[in-house]
Amino acid sequence: MTAVTTPTTADQRREPSRFRDWITGGALKDRAVLLLALIVVLLVAMAILDGVGLTSGRFNSDYLASTLIAYVPLALLALAELFVITSGRGGIDLSVGSMVSLTGIVFAMLYQQAGLPLAVAVVSAVAFGALLGAVNGFLTAYLGYPALITTLATFYAYRSIALVVSEQRPISGPEISEFYSAAKAIELPVIGGGLPLVPLGVFTFLLPVAIVAWFVLNRTTYGRKLYAIGTNDTAAQWAGIDTRRTRMMAYVTAGAIAGLVGVYTVAQFASARPDAGTSGSGMALPAITIAVLGGVAITGGIGRLSGILLAALLIVWLNASILLVVPGNEGAQAQLLALGVVLLGASLLSNATIRRRQGGLAKPLSVPGTAPGAK
Amino acid sequence: MSTDTVAPAVAKPLSLRRILPPIVTGQEIVLLGVLVILWVLLGIFTPAFLTPASIGPLLVQVAPIALIGVGMTFVIITAGIDVSVAAMIMVSAVTTARMLVAFDIPAIAAVLVAIVIGAALGAINGFLIAYGRVHPIIITFGTANLFQWLGLRVFDSSTVNGIPSTLEFFGRGGAGSTLGVPHSFAIAVIAVAAAWWFLRYAKAGRNLYAIGGNQNAARLAGIKVQPRLVWVYVVTGALAGLAACMVIATGTATLDQSVGSGKELQVIAAVVIGGTSILGGRGSVVGTLLGAILVQTVVSGVTQLGWPTQLGFLFVGIFILVAVGTDLIRERTRRRA
Repeated sequence: MTAVTTPTTADQRREPSRFRDWITGGALKDRAVLLLALIVVLLVAMAILDGVGLTSGRFNSDYLASTLIAYVPLALLALAELFVITSGRGGIDLSVGSMVSLTGIVFAMLYQQAGLPLAVAVVSAVAFGALLGAVNGFLTAYLGYPALITTLATFYAYRSIALVVSEQRPISGPEISEFYSAAKAIELPVIGGGLPLVPLGVFTFLLPVAIVAWFVLNRTTYGRKLYAIGTNDTAAQWAGIDTRRTRMMAYVTAGAIAGLVGVYTVAQFASARPDAGTSGSGMALPAITIAVLGGVAITGGIGRLSGILLAALLIVWLNASILLVVPGNEGAQAQLLALGVVLLGASLLSNATIRRRQGGLAKPLSVPGTAPGAK
Repeated sequence: MSTDTVAPAVAKPLSLRRILPPIVTGQEIVLLGVLVILWVLLGIFTPAFLTPASIGPLLVQVAPIALIGVGMTFVIITAGIDVSVAAMIMVSAVTTARMLVAFDIPAIAAVLVAIVIGAALGAINGFLIAYGRVHPIIITFGTANLFQWLGLRVFDSSTVNGIPSTLEFFGRGGAGSTLGVPHSFAIAVIAVAAAWWFLRYAKAGRNLYAIGGNQNAARLAGIKVQPRLVWVYVVTGALAGLAACMVIATGTATLDQSVGSGKELQVIAAVVIGGTSILGGRGSVVGTLLGAILVQTVVSGVTQLGWPTQLGFLFVGIFILVAVGTDLIRERTRRRA
């Protein structure tokens, strides 16, 4: 990071206008750069606070690595929202938290109570998640329900089914307790010696999904189609894209990812909680927040994997830092404040820079569903 | 909605009937029918359901949802959404409750405090949405976090204990109703009636439909879009504040940190079941009231039938889909006609 910024500050003395252009045009528009800068600022600030001795615990790489256990579900669900929101026409998925709860319960029933092999149980849970997502996708893409409505309805429905099927009791047992090792921290093989312990879930859950998602989004026709229908549904249709099928697949993908997170939460908590994804304010709202923070346009068609991964990392490390500086209950509360401020700041800032670049004030507010052909 | 209607009803002449909708639309008649059928069925299977002892508390629980639903209907008609209402209830409720405990303020002052706090929070939403030009769902996700933090700071300890019964006027008890009608429900009905008149006959009310239909066209037609938007979110906040008083009154003397939690989705469910289009430009507050009653009937009915309480929310989900689905079909046939 420093290698990149230092020459630019030198440029600034010679050509201030270019620096301004870079700031307003390139850097802030590219969400990944902005997020990376924020992460660096956070790490530097925390390192200073740690050095002065204002933190209640040690702020070091071991601590940062251990917090990644919370990073996995957050990043995965934000990735699920990336697919859905990018598909456009007001795409959003409020039901991911409920899908996490329900697939977690189903996984535990298959693995613990029915005694299926682990691989079969995991695949079944993911397939079940995809099925739940297909319900969302069918209603939204084929029957024309607004996504907010579909997923609000299925949020209630799936959550209710999870609680009723499990009789509101968590499912646990010896097999699941053993499965806990899938989420806990390990030492990296070969190069592991000098590095901090990284939670295994990062490699078994997040990394494969991220690689596949990157490939699908950037190197397949499906990815191109997804961005196309999100950018302009009508144009995509005239270009011969099966918009309904493409959009439906986005919801199916989100469901499958939520299914995987369901399995992960079972490993993380060593039991399948029927409210794993819906307790408190649920998992959907943080996931959407991180997706938006990561530069996904709520109007569709724009969004990159790098933004998601960095935004989730920023939030997880910010939360972890807050707990060190503001101990106890107040720290947990301050996390809410931080999330709100970062989200509002990032969205207002990026909106302002885009508007300045377009050179006008009175740009219309884009609202999902008001695009031609949407009504 | 369907992708095959690329050119929506552009050529259709605007008849007066389309500008001024009928007093009750199809959706509301359907809703009323569903409600009557549900109540009759519940009355048959659980004899205790159709008694004043059961209906009264039901209406008390409907009141805050319907009340905030009025504001949310305004918001959704302008093609917006407000997911921060639960957090606004929390801030309003806890601040008012603490003032009741600490200073024993009279009821009227408590109500004023709650409404002013709600309106102030709503103003934050409104200004950010109208002038920040970021989509309302993002802004209100953000402010929901801020408000929640604020509320938890005011809570200080884990709960507020020993709240005096100053607000019993809104409560479940005998002081909370006149001639069997709960005051809180009556207030909600008055708010719905006022909002119905406002949306139908007041110029500012008609403007909301214009903004939701097409914000640019509304601006070009001379409507001051941004002040209107701010105002809509302020009203929603103020109503959330008033609803917070009802929440305090219907609870015990203790207020815990989960107050209001989940209310935002219940309110949105009531509004969309009531036939308001989430895409903006169309909707009615009478439908919202019926939608709120329907949601609460289903949830209470399931409990009274002895089924698992959580099953009620499965039915709420199904009702949302059925209500919006019939609306979609009607919209499609109307366009074909």
